[in-house]
Amino acid sequence: MHISEGVLSAPVLITGFVGTAVLAAVTMRKMDLEEIPKISVITSVFFVSSLIHVPIGVTSVHLILNGLVGVILGWRAFPAVLVGLVLQAILFGHGGVTVIGVNCLMMGGGALMAYVVWQQRHHFSLKRKEMIFGALAGATGVGFSGIVLALALATTGEAFHAVAGAVLIAHIPIIIIEAGVVGACAEFLSRVKPEILAGQRPTPNPAGSADVAT
Amino acid sequence: MALDIDRYSSIDSPISRWDPRFKIFALGILIISIALLKTIPVAITALAIAAVIIGMSALPLHFISHGLSFILVFLVPFFFIMPFSYPGEAAFRVLGLPFAWEGLRYATLIFTKALAIVLVSFSIFGSSRFDVSMIALQKLKCPKIIVQMLLFTYRYTYVFLEEMHRMHTSMHSRGFVAGTNAQTLRIYGNFIGTLLVRSFERTDRVYKAMLSKGYQGELHSMVKFKSSSPDILKGLIVIGLALALLLSDYGGIFTAAEQGWY
Repeated sequence: MHISEGVLSAPVLITGFVGTAVLAAVTMRKMDLEEIPKISVITSVFFVSSLIHVPIGVTSVHLILNGLVGVILGWRAFPAVLVGLVLQAILFGHGGVTVIGVNCLMMGGGALMAYVVWQQRHHFSLKRKEMIFGALAGATGVGFSGIVLALALATTGEAFHAVAGAVLIAHIPIIIIEAGVVGACAEFLSRVKPEILAGQRPTPNPAGSADVAT
Repeated sequence: MALDIDRYSSIDSPISRWDPRFKIFALGILIISIALLKTIPVAITALAIAAVIIGMSALPLHFISHGLSFILVFLVPFFFIMPFSYPGEAAFRVLGLPFAWEGLRYATLIFTKALAIVLVSFSIFGSSRFDVSMIALQKLKCPKIIVQMLLFTYRYTYVFLEEMHRMHTSMHSRGFVAGTNAQTLRIYGNFIGTLLVRSFERTDRVYKAMLSKGYQGELHSMVKFKSSSPDILKGLIVIGLALALLLSDYGGIFTAAEQGWY
C-alpha cells in the first residue's frame, strides 16, 4: 500500500508534501508532552503489526491498520502515520523518501476519515457498536487510502490508468479483512482497556478508568 | 532482531566521518534531484554516483543487499505491469497482450531511480548512530516533536517486535493456523488488541520513570557536532553533482530524446 519512489510526477509529489505539512501542523496543535510517548507506542505497534499476513487463498496480504490508528489516536493519528512512514522509508527503503508526502496523505487521510466514522457511534445505541463502528472505521481507513492511491496514479499519466484500476479492485479483499480485524480489536479494547480508544465519553463507562484523559 | 539501520555505524569511512548535519542536508538534496530525473542515461549516472557514495561508506555488502531485497519486491512487478499497460502502439503481442517498448522504458527509469535513492538513503542513515542522525535532524530545524516521536518509535519497534514473536509462538503452540475465514480475523483483532494493551502499559511505566528523572519534553545529548572544511567541501561536491544531474536532464543533452532509449 505504498507508492514507490520514482513513479509519480513532481507536481503530485509537491502537492503531497504541502498537504502533509498543512495537515500535520493542524493535527499537532496543542500537543501535550505526555502524548508523545503514547503516540509513539501506537506508531510502533502499527508498524510491527503490518508484518502480520492474512492468507487469501494461495496468496496473502499484510495488515495496514490505518483505520485502527484513527480509532485509537483520533486527530493525532496523522502525525503518527507520518512518523511511521518516515521510519519505514529510512529503515527498510519501503516506499521512499520523496513519496512520504503522498503516502502520508493517503494513509493518514484514511486514518482521519476512520476517526470521523468511529465517532458516529455516539449517535447510535446498538448492542455491539464498538464492533460495528470499528469495522466501519477499519474499512474506511483502507478504502480511502485505496481511492487516493488510484487517483494519484491516474493523475500522474495515462500510462498508469490500467494500474489504477487494478489497485481499486485489489483493495476489495483488503477492505474486508481490515474491517474484520479492526472491528474485533475495537471491541476487545472497549472491554479490556477502554481509555485507550479515541473519543470515549466518560458516561458509558462508570466503572474504573476515571483519571485518564482521552 | 538484527534489523537496526545503524548497526554498522561504527565502521570508519569518509561518509561516517562526515558531520551528520551536512551529510543529511547534502545527500537529501541529491535524493530529491534524483527523484526528479526524466531520462534513463542521467538516471544511470545517478545510480553510479549513488554506488560510489555507498562504496565510500564501506557498509558491508550483505547489509546493503538485505535492505535492497525489500525494495526489489516492490519494484520488479513494474517490469511486468508497465509494458503491457502502457497506452499507445504496441510493438508486438505476448500471449495476446500488447507489449509497448515505451512501458518498458518507463519501468527501467523507475527502477534505476528508486535503486539510486535507496542506496543514498542507506549511506545517510547507515553511517551514523540513529540518535545522532535524529539530533542532526533537529539541528536542521525539523520539528522537535516529530524528532522525538521518531526516536521513541524507533526504540519501541524492536521491543514490540520481540513481544509479537513471543505471542505468535504461543499462539501457534496452542494450535492456531491462519486461514481465510472470519475466525482468523477475529483472532488477529484480539491479538493486536493484546499487543496494544501490553505495549501501552509497558511504556506507561517507562514514561513515569522518565518523568521522575526530569524529562521535560526534550532529549539532551552529549553529542557535539563539529564541522570543518572537509565537511563543507563534501557537501558542496554532492550538491554540485545533484545540480549537474538536474541540468543535464532538463536543460540539455538528452531532452530531445526524452521519449527515446539511448
